[in-house]
Amino acid sequence: MQRIVTMSMMALLAVPGMAWAADAAGGADMAKAFAVLAAGLGFGLAAGLCGLGQGRAAGQAVDAMARQPGAIARIQTAMLLGLAFIESLVLFVFVIAVILLFVKS
Amino acid sequence: MELIEHPPILHIAAIPDHILYTWIAMAILVVVSFVASRRVQLVPTGSQNFMEIVLEQFVKELDETIGHGGRRYLPLIATLGLFILVSNLMGLVPGLVAPTANLNTTAACALIVFVTYHVIGVRKQGFIPYLKHFAGPVPTVLKPLMFVIEIISHCARPLSLSLRLFGNMMAGHILLAIFFFMMGFDGMLGWALRGTMGGLVIGAPAALIMVVFVVGFLFPLKILVAFIQTFIFCKLAMLYIAAAVEEAEHH
Repeated sequence: MQRIVTMSMMALLAVPGMAWAADAAGGADMAKAFAVLAAGLGFGLAAGLCGLGQGRAAGQAVDAMARQPGAIARIQTAMLLGLAFIESLVLFVFVIAVILLFVKS
Repeated sequence: MELIEHPPILHIAAIPDHILYTWIAMAILVVVSFVASRRVQLVPTGSQNFMEIVLEQFVKELDETIGHGGRRYLPLIATLGLFILVSNLMGLVPGLVAPTANLNTTAACALIVFVTYHVIGVRKQGFIPYLKHFAGPVPTVLKPLMFVIEIISHCARPLSLSLRLFGNMMAGHILLAIFFFMMGFDGMLGWALRGTMGGLVIGAPAALIMVVFVVGFLFPLKILVAFIQTFIFCKLAMLYIAAAVEEAEHH
């Protein structure tokens, strides 16, 4: 596990070096490549963390429903609202990713 | 995007797609409402019954969220809700475009909500008391800080409202486009139809699996998302209005 983390950190550290090295070669191509990389990495990160957050929210909501079946409707509404708020953060990243990928700069 | 996305069936060169499909959604709503309210009866039948059930859901939510006097805002909330629901569901029909998958449409809806709840707050409370409420229940020293933070949070509301709806619809749209592309004639199905060994062994089962996955999982998910996003948009609009109205009643 630690080795994987170390290796990915090293890979990340190597990225700017590659960018500087390739700067002279083709600036626009490199920028496009990094935009794709940023979109993929960023969206993956956001989606994964959103999964953690939403899982926690939904789990707690189910817990509460099991304890108090009478309040299921209200808990469900609150849960949906909370999930939407958590999800909207991912959607901001999604919009950024779409802008990075499809908008010609 | 243009590579994998199929252009919509109905396309007029001078008019952007989302405007055209907004008109179609409006036409659907107008026709349904007209048919439902043509002969209003005390004991509803048919389409009138259907529309009454739909509107009763809005009334129930309004009573729950705003409480007393909440039904005044039924026209606004129900119009927004029905329009967004019809637009979201239009995105599920292949060949049609969801108007809500364009940021302009959702931003328009969110701005309407934004302006409306401020106008309601000012009318209920007067301009100066309404502004004072942004400062909140904190010590006097902290009030300027709270005021600035509240202003920023209020400005973020239409942003998050519009981006949430747009992001959900757009993401679903791209997801469906990619899956249709992968299983279509340019993807797995095309590979299988080419008649090579690999195509028959891998392409055909993969196309079948993808069809089952899309029809059995993605489409129900998208229908669920369409309804949930409509619900959330309306619920948040109601909550904002309720916050603007409630403050008036406490003071």
